[in-house]
Amino acid sequence: MLVNEARQILSRVGSLTARQQLRTITNGTAQLEQQAQPKEAKEPQIKKFEIYRWNPDNAGEKPYMQTYDVDLRECGPMVLDALIKIKNEMDPTLTFRRSCREGICGSCAMNIGGTNTLACISKIDTNTSKSLKVYPLPHMYVVRDLVPDMNNFYEQYRNIQPWLQRKNEAVEEKGKAQYLQSVEDRSKLDGLYECILCACCSTSCPSYWWNAEKYLGPAVLMQAYRWIIDSRDENSAERLSKLKDPFSVYRCHTIMNCTRTCPKGLNPGRAIAEIKKLLSGLASKPEPKLETAALHK
Amino acid sequence: MSLALILRGAARCNAANLVKSARITPLKAYSSLVANAQRQVKPLVVAKAAAPVARREISVSAPRMAAAGGSHTMLWTIERLVSLGLLAVIPAAFIAPSQVLDGLLAVSVVIHTHWGVEAMVVDYMRPAVVGNVLPKVAHIGLIIISVATLGGLFYFIQNDVGLVNGIKRFWSIKGKQQ
Repeated sequence: MLVNEARQILSRVGSLTARQQLRTITNGTAQLEQQAQPKEAKEPQIKKFEIYRWNPDNAGEKPYMQTYDVDLRECGPMVLDALIKIKNEMDPTLTFRRSCREGICGSCAMNIGGTNTLACISKIDTNTSKSLKVYPLPHMYVVRDLVPDMNNFYEQYRNIQPWLQRKNEAVEEKGKAQYLQSVEDRSKLDGLYECILCACCSTSCPSYWWNAEKYLGPAVLMQAYRWIIDSRDENSAERLSKLKDPFSVYRCHTIMNCTRTCPKGLNPGRAIAEIKKLLSGLASKPEPKLETAALHK
Repeated sequence: MSLALILRGAARCNAANLVKSARITPLKAYSSLVANAQRQVKPLVVAKAAAPVARREISVSAPRMAAAGGSHTMLWTIERLVSLGLLAVIPAAFIAPSQVLDGLLAVSVVIHTHWGVEAMVVDYMRPAVVGNVLPKVAHIGLIIISVATLGGLFYFIQNDVGLVNGIKRFWSIKGKQQ
C-alpha cells in the first residue's frame, strides 16, 4: 500500500516536472508556464462509489448501500486503490480483504459493477456520471461489508485432495528424487494451475448459488481436473469415482458464467466438460509420456 | 426402457434428497462451526481403558460436501446420446413419416424434455428452501405429466394420423380468405 502511494506520488511528480520542462522549452518563458499551472490544478473528478455495508455487531441492522465521493485525480486507477483511499481517508470501518494488489492472491474478489472480479486489477470507470456499485461475492454468507465467508469453498477444495498422490509411496521415498513429466504432459496443466482460488467463478454460477452444499463449483472442479489429468498423479480413478454422483459435477449446466467472469482468463467450463468426458468414458487419461518414477529406481 | 430410466432416475434423486435433507446444517451455526473444522475431536487413548462411556459424536467438522453415492454417469451419457439422436430423428421423422419414426420421435422428445425439467425441479425445488414435501410432489408430478404425455402421443400415433402428420396438418391450416 505504501509502495503504491509512493509510486503514485513519484509518477505524478515525475510527469509534472517533465511537463514543466517541456513547456519551458517550447515557450521559452517561465511566466506562461506559471499562468498555465493553476489551470492544470484541475478541478476534482468526483466519482461516486456505492458500497455494500453490513456490520454483524449492529444487531438487527439490514445491509445498506453507502455512497462515497472519491476524487479520481487523487486516487490510483484501480477499484482497490479507491477502496483503500476510502478506508484511509473517509471511513476506517469499511471492511474488505486485500493483499497483493496485483491480481495474484485472490483476496480482493468482489462484485464490481455487476461482475465478479478482483478489485486490484479492475480499472475504475472514469465516467463520473455513473456511480460504481461494489458488492461482496454474490450468494455467499457475508462476514462483514465486502468480506464473504469462504469456509464452504475451502472445505470443498480440501475435499478434492489437491495434492499429488502415488500408488506405491512406500518405495518412492519422499523428497529423494523428482517425478518425471514430459513437456507435453506438463502443457496439459497450463490454464489449470494458474487458478488463484478467488472464487469469482464459483460465485457467478447459479448452480453453485442453489446447491453450494453439494455441487463443488467451477473453481474447485477445475482444480479437481488439474490433479486428475496430471501425468504424475496415479489416483485419477479414485478422484473420478468421487465425482460421479448426481451433484458434485453434474449440476453444471454449461452456462459458462465461470469462464466469462474469470479475472485470470481461465476456462473452468472446459475443465468441467473434460471431467464429464472422463467420467462417461468418452475420453480417458493418456498414459504418461515419461516413466514418472524413473529417478526413484 | 425409457420409462424405467425415468423412474429409476427419479427414485435415485429422491433417495439422495432424503439422505441430504436429513443433514442440512443450520446455516447460521455453520460458519462458526467450520472455523473449527480442522480440529477433529479424537478420543484419548486412556479413554479406551476406562469403562465405556456413552460417547456422543460431536461434529465440529463440516458435513461432507459431496452428495451421497449413486452414479450419474450412465444417465448423463444417455442424455447426450438422446440429444445427439434428436438431431437425426426429428428430420428423419418429417422426411419419411411412419409409425416407427413417430414413436421414436415421441419417446426421445418426451424424455429429453423430462430430463430438462427434472434438472429445473432439482435446482429450484430445494428442500432447504421449500421444505421436504414439495420437491417430492413436484418430482412425482413431473413423472406423471411425462408418462401421460408419452401415453397420449402413443395413442395419437396408433389411432390417428400420427405425430408428424398431425403437426403437418397444423401448418396446413389456412385462415379464411377474405
